[in-house]
Amino acid sequence: MESIIKRIEEQIAGFTPAGVDESVGIVRETGDGIAEIDGLEGAVMSEMVLFDPTFDRSLEDALKDAKSVYGLVLNLEEDGVRAVILGEASDVFEGMQVRRLNRLLSIPVGESLVGRVLNPLGEPVDDKGPLAGTTLMPIEREAYGVIDRSPVNVPLHTGVKAVDAMIPIGRGQRELIIGDRGTGKTAIAIDTILNQKSEPAETRPICIYVAIGQKESKTARIVAELTAAGAMDYTIVVTAPASSPAAFQFLAPFAGATIGEFFMDAGRDALVVYDDLSKQAVAYRQMSLLLRRPPGREAYPGDIFYLHSRLLERAAKLSKEKGGGSLTALPIIETQEGDVSAYIPTNVISITDGQIYLQADLFNKGLRPAIDVGISVSRVGSSAQTKAMKKVSGKIKLTLAQFRELEAFMQFASDLDADTKAQIDSGRRMTEVLTQVQGKPLPFEIEVAVIFAAINGFFDAFAPENTRAAQQKLQEFLEREGKEALELIRSTKDIGEDTEKVLRDALTKFTERAA
Amino acid sequence: MEKTYAKALYELASKEGADSKKLVDTLIAHLRETGRMKLLPRILLELKRIDARAGTLMESLEVASESEISEATKEAKELGINANATVNKDLVSGWRARTGSRIIDRSGKRALLDLYKRITAHA
Repeated sequence: MESIIKRIEEQIAGFTPAGVDESVGIVRETGDGIAEIDGLEGAVMSEMVLFDPTFDRSLEDALKDAKSVYGLVLNLEEDGVRAVILGEASDVFEGMQVRRLNRLLSIPVGESLVGRVLNPLGEPVDDKGPLAGTTLMPIEREAYGVIDRSPVNVPLHTGVKAVDAMIPIGRGQRELIIGDRGTGKTAIAIDTILNQKSEPAETRPICIYVAIGQKESKTARIVAELTAAGAMDYTIVVTAPASSPAAFQFLAPFAGATIGEFFMDAGRDALVVYDDLSKQAVAYRQMSLLLRRPPGREAYPGDIFYLHSRLLERAAKLSKEKGGGSLTALPIIETQEGDVSAYIPTNVISITDGQIYLQADLFNKGLRPAIDVGISVSRVGSSAQTKAMKKVSGKIKLTLAQFRELEAFMQFASDLDADTKAQIDSGRRMTEVLTQVQGKPLPFEIEVAVIFAAINGFFDAFAPENTRAAQQKLQEFLEREGKEALELIRSTKDIGEDTEKVLRDALTKFTERAA
Repeated sequence: MEKTYAKALYELASKEGADSKKLVDTLIAHLRETGRMKLLPRILLELKRIDARAGTLMESLEVASESEISEATKEAKELGINANATVNKDLVSGWRARTGSRIIDRSGKRALLDLYKRITAHA
């Protein structure tokens, strides 16, 4: 035994630390989540640094409080750098040692992230323990180029009839959801996530919900809603609440995009919701002003457009050679008093491939989702629409446009001729058909069947105000007795002659029974 | 502007055999001539800042015990650091040296801390 002890003692005595040779700096000034650092020679933009509180402490004290705070280099200056503090700013003090980590800001990514709630640094904030089996991926990455991409040609069903019929979204598309506060922007995004449950598991996209500057109670409610619906099985939530530092709110969308890219690179589909980019822009403005960058329009920094364009450009549908994966982005922008011509809304409108515009007036009239069909567009989604949906949705926009023109005459209903009255009723019915309860997205085949019924006059037997209830009954009827028609639509994704006949028979049966 | 003046003044003052009185007199005469006398307090502030920065980033060598001084000085010299060693018992063993924004840390404290972090990171 003695010889063993002696040998171990010799080993310990002979231990020589390998030593480290690194570039360091010293905090000159700190405040408002920003640190001015002297030194740090050779530091690069977006590099991670470590505020090391242990440098001037004894080993005992250092071990007692070895908590490190990370920082992100954002300004390179002649005699030092400015970095944002990613964590508790009060832990950083003047004269503190700062170490370069020689890597760009990275977060852990992997399969084990699914079902978890994370902060923008990829650290779990739920109570499910540490992440396992992850690799690090840089948070900022150049988007894929033209050669690596393929056209958007696979639909991403939202389960919201109005969206899937008139403003279809394809996998790899960037579709903006824009509107005033409380008009149902988040509801559309969450319904889209919930609806992916009806997709076959092999083609179901991994959904990433990024909450930026939101109330923690709202995020908790959303997580609970997703969990209750079983949607957390394929969803990841990244949260940077209103109480978190501006740097976290600025980084959260990039963290979401990085996680989405991990799945896209693996040849799978991913959907990322940025809720919302207006708050990210405000956080970035705050940081930029504190970093003493010159302010521009509305005090936003000059690179605010680049902030959003480089983020949204990361959404892509990859070519077969690159694995064929996709990353669909649903950014959300909050407008003030319906002003879509403000700085940030116009920027993001011009970056994205279309927008779903929600109007407070329509919302207050009880229309849900309160989509303004007139100025909502999808620039690439129509080529990803299924044949079945294309066939039934063609007439909707026309019917609704005619209805909007005649809507003003509705108050003179008694003096109108029969044709005009019929057109108005048809428009009212269509509006009712497109109205949908929040949190209950519909499978694609039911959407098609209901819209088919609406455009082919199967609801004409009902008064316009009763259409919503009739539609609900039709859904139940189809799920019960129209399974053959639904299966044909689901499998063929088209309404061929056979399908049409079976569907018409089912709808006739329904109207006869309802009468 | 004050940064440029302060930097130039610091560089000139750091040269061997620099006459500080002459430097200050020349600077003041120049500021008067160009009507920039109001810059003087700001130049002073900037100069203090540069001096403090140079102090914190100055060459230094710390060793854990007196018995390690000669070995540490020799090793540091090989790496281009010619500073007088001071004893810092907090280092546990070994030595650490600084030159500008570069640190070479061969102390037992750093090794133990890194080991501790590695172990606790996976705990």
